[in-house]
Amino acid sequence: MGSPAQPNDELLRRLMVEYQGGSEAAFERLYAALAPTLLRYLTYSTREPARASDLTQETFLQMHRARRTYDPGRPVLPWALAIARNIFLMDQRKRRRRIQWDLLETDPPAPAPAPHEEGLLRDVEGALAQVPEAHREAWVLHHVSGLSFQEIADLLGASAGSVRIRSSRAAARLREILQAAGIGGARP
Amino acid sequence: MNPDERVPLPPALRGLQFEPVRPLPPPGRRALLLLPPAVLVLFAASAFFGPRPDAAALGWLLGWGASTAETVLGLALLALALREAIPGRALPRGWIGAALGLSAALVAAVSVAAFAASPIALEARYFGYVTFFCISGTLSGALPLLLLGSVLCARAFPLRPGLAGLLVGLGAGLVSDSGWRLFCHYSNPGHLALSHFGPVLLAGLCGALVGRGVAAWRRGPRGAGRNVRPSPAKVGEKGENLP
Repeated sequence: MGSPAQPNDELLRRLMVEYQGGSEAAFERLYAALAPTLLRYLTYSTREPARASDLTQETFLQMHRARRTYDPGRPVLPWALAIARNIFLMDQRKRRRRIQWDLLETDPPAPAPAPHEEGLLRDVEGALAQVPEAHREAWVLHHVSGLSFQEIADLLGASAGSVRIRSSRAAARLREILQAAGIGGARP
Repeated sequence: MNPDERVPLPPALRGLQFEPVRPLPPPGRRALLLLPPAVLVLFAASAFFGPRPDAAALGWLLGWGASTAETVLGLALLALALREAIPGRALPRGWIGAALGLSAALVAAVSVAAFAASPIALEARYFGYVTFFCISGTLSGALPLLLLGSVLCARAFPLRPGLAGLLVGLGAGLVSDSGWRLFCHYSNPGHLALSHFGPVLLAGLCGALVGRGVAAWRRGPRGAGRNVRPSPAKVGEKGENLP
């Protein structure tokens, strides 16, 4: 399964430099270029499209605050995805705390019905949910967001070697799950 | 989406202020801002209180040599903190472990060597006074670098503010201890562990708390975010942006 086309990094760097220079038009173009990639990453992480959309907007707000930290000599996507990942983790922590408080006071809510989805994408997303989080994250960042292992390592604070291992373990686990589900020839 | 097209922003992103910003210099260059205050701290204790009386017995290697090495390590930890504060430049666990391990190893080795070269144990009758003096002196020496390092980190965007703050605090503490040991001549391991390295660890803890506190303050109440929310967008009846 190849990764979707990623925005051209040279273009992104140029837009970031203009954006740092105060250009609102550059920010709008950056939004057009980056939002689909960030939304995809956050959708895979949250598995809730509405929540992913909110988090994507929050990511751009935080990118606006952090724009002076972007180094024009470095690629844009790892920088943006690092912020997106942080937004996702903080949101997860907040939700866990809220769930703990809610459980103290009320009965747990009934699980929401799964949205109607079809095809291989649904199967892969379902299988991904069964992969350990650390392995899943490395796989998503490499195969979906298109980052290199070194960029993922810089984002996560790990070594490139361990990121490569996590990603290939996720791929192996996905293959097992999809083959057990009878999806022949699956090679994520 | 075609990146050459301008796409209308969602309401949450309208109304942001687009003043120009200067990109931060690389972390190593920013760390150089900490060099002058680090040198001041290195010299401060011995300049103010006088050098340790057993300096000749220690020699240059275990005296100024070891303190200079400790200062360099402290500055390295501060530089690592500044790198950690940049999104997408998270420190690998191995680097953090190596930096902390090397610092601990250097400090332990210097302490053992100094005690072997000039064994001066703290007498029990002076324990309270000297312990308090050394702890407060080391912490006071760490304070300027801790504050400056925390400001430099906060001006970036640390995604792990506790870790960045911990490195700032430990770095500041090491630099302070490197200067304090040029004044304090008590070299027994118990005194060094409690009154010199204890404050280094305490400075690390303070740095972590400062880092997390600043990050929490930035997030604002219930994650609302300070200074980054757009001003209320003026939107027309048909949803178009108004000037």
